[in-house]
Amino acid sequence: MPEFIGEPVAELRKVTKMFGSKKAVNQVSFAIEKGSVTAILGPNGAGKSTAISMMLGLKDASEGEVLLFGRSPKDLKVRERLGAMLQEVSVMDGLRTREIINLIRGYYPNPLSLQDIALLSGLTSEELNKWAVKMSGGQKRKLSFALAIAGNPELLFFDEPTVGLDTSARRLFWQTVRKLASQGKTILFTTHYLQEADDMADRILLFHQGQVVADGTPEAIKSKLTRRSVSFIVDADHRQVKELLHEVPGVTDVYEQDGRLHAVTDDTDTALAALFRTGLAVRDMRIDQGSLDEAFDQLTTSQEEAV
Amino acid sequence: MTTWKLIILQCRMELLRMVRNPYYIFWSLAMPILFYFIFTRVVNTGADDAGQWQAHYLMSMASFSVMGTAIMSLGIRLVQERVQGWAIYMRVTPLPGSVYFFGKMFVQTVMHLLCIVVIFVAGYLMNGVSLSFWQWVLSGLWILIASVPFLAIGTLIGSMKRVDTASGVSNGIYLGLAITGGMWFPIDAMPSIMQAIGKWMPSYHFGGGAWSIVRGEAPGLDNFIILAAYLAVFMVISTYIRKKQQAD
Repeated sequence: MPEFIGEPVAELRKVTKMFGSKKAVNQVSFAIEKGSVTAILGPNGAGKSTAISMMLGLKDASEGEVLLFGRSPKDLKVRERLGAMLQEVSVMDGLRTREIINLIRGYYPNPLSLQDIALLSGLTSEELNKWAVKMSGGQKRKLSFALAIAGNPELLFFDEPTVGLDTSARRLFWQTVRKLASQGKTILFTTHYLQEADDMADRILLFHQGQVVADGTPEAIKSKLTRRSVSFIVDADHRQVKELLHEVPGVTDVYEQDGRLHAVTDDTDTALAALFRTGLAVRDMRIDQGSLDEAFDQLTTSQEEAV
Repeated sequence: MTTWKLIILQCRMELLRMVRNPYYIFWSLAMPILFYFIFTRVVNTGADDAGQWQAHYLMSMASFSVMGTAIMSLGIRLVQERVQGWAIYMRVTPLPGSVYFFGKMFVQTVMHLLCIVVIFVAGYLMNGVSLSFWQWVLSGLWILIASVPFLAIGTLIGSMKRVDTASGVSNGIYLGLAITGGMWFPIDAMPSIMQAIGKWMPSYHFGGGAWSIVRGEAPGLDNFIILAAYLAVFMVISTYIRKKQQAD
């Protein structure tokens, strides 16, 4: 857990949420630093959305404490400082897009101007004049984003923000989020797309079966979870080479795949040096680092198998 | 943000939405006015005092209309907003839940007032119903204020999960209350068992206050007590449901 100077923007302290006898979130603790961009990752049903719902004050924790800006998320003063884009697309009938945005702006003490909101969300003036219920799925997403930023909040929640967006809309969305992050806003988002977490977040919280199973920078999670390996082609007797490699400190596994020998190790330098010392005719050496996708799969499947 | 500013903002928006969606008001008005026409102009009910009957049935139809608006349009709209995710989104914004609810009640009151005025005018135009100024005002006020227990029913309907269910259930309750409470046909014309049941219905006492006023009497104490008791029960159930839904 990182050390913070000052009070965290959001904090969960040993939070558990029960649905019947099932623990959707199980003894989760973490704190979110001001100005950070955090991705909450995990397979369906891992507890991501439940955690977000509790942080937004939409669901009560069964045990433990959820704090935003050091207070209850239900506090109106807290709600003035946060914005959220929920999974469900929400619009009100009988109002135009512009009217809905202005209504929500009116709830906050220091809202953004309609012009800024339109610019950031990419809503055109034609879209602003449309009836909100008549908007397409993608347009409603933009509106949903516009409403999240309308109050110029310090803390932003995006629950699966890019589901249903095409590639260019998705790119535009993350560009805007980057802009908001550079203004010092604290951002928390859930996603299924690991690439988005890897690209955008400076911290990943990986949820699995209601618990945080990994917490760190994308780099740290990758290096912790993915196996680095040295692979090569050698014309010598594979069994002999395998035995040799097993004796190298740090090597945890040796296997053969597609005619190449793989030595799994955290310390690839030592393995390489040892390999050269043997004087074997080694060709086409490679160092492989697994992707975040692999790490994710490994983490979320290995535990299921263990059950 | 001062609360007053929020209240005005919210009420203005709700009013705008009401005006833009006249569908709900149309149905709360069409059926009562049609009924009024049929049972005072087409069908000969054989009432001894035609003038009295026309005034009595006007009150029945005004109560019937307001009761429908309170139960159906409030209930169904609440479910709609929750199903669309709007009501949930509102809880993330700094708008106090009480202001959101107040906006809804404000618009309901405006709609009720509109129903009362339109139906009273229809009665005047169709039959020349003549009441004293205070009878018009007091019966209108009675219908406006005594509709609160039905707003509570609407709020209960509003906690349902699906629009279809809410629509079906509210329709059933609405028509059931109207018939058993003697809004369609006077309760005296019903079999004695129906009369016994009817006298415990909130709709009977809702109409009853207005019927008394047009007869030149004050609403009975039983009207007040039974309506207040129903309101209390509905509010307790409603609070219980809300607590339960929050815990999930």
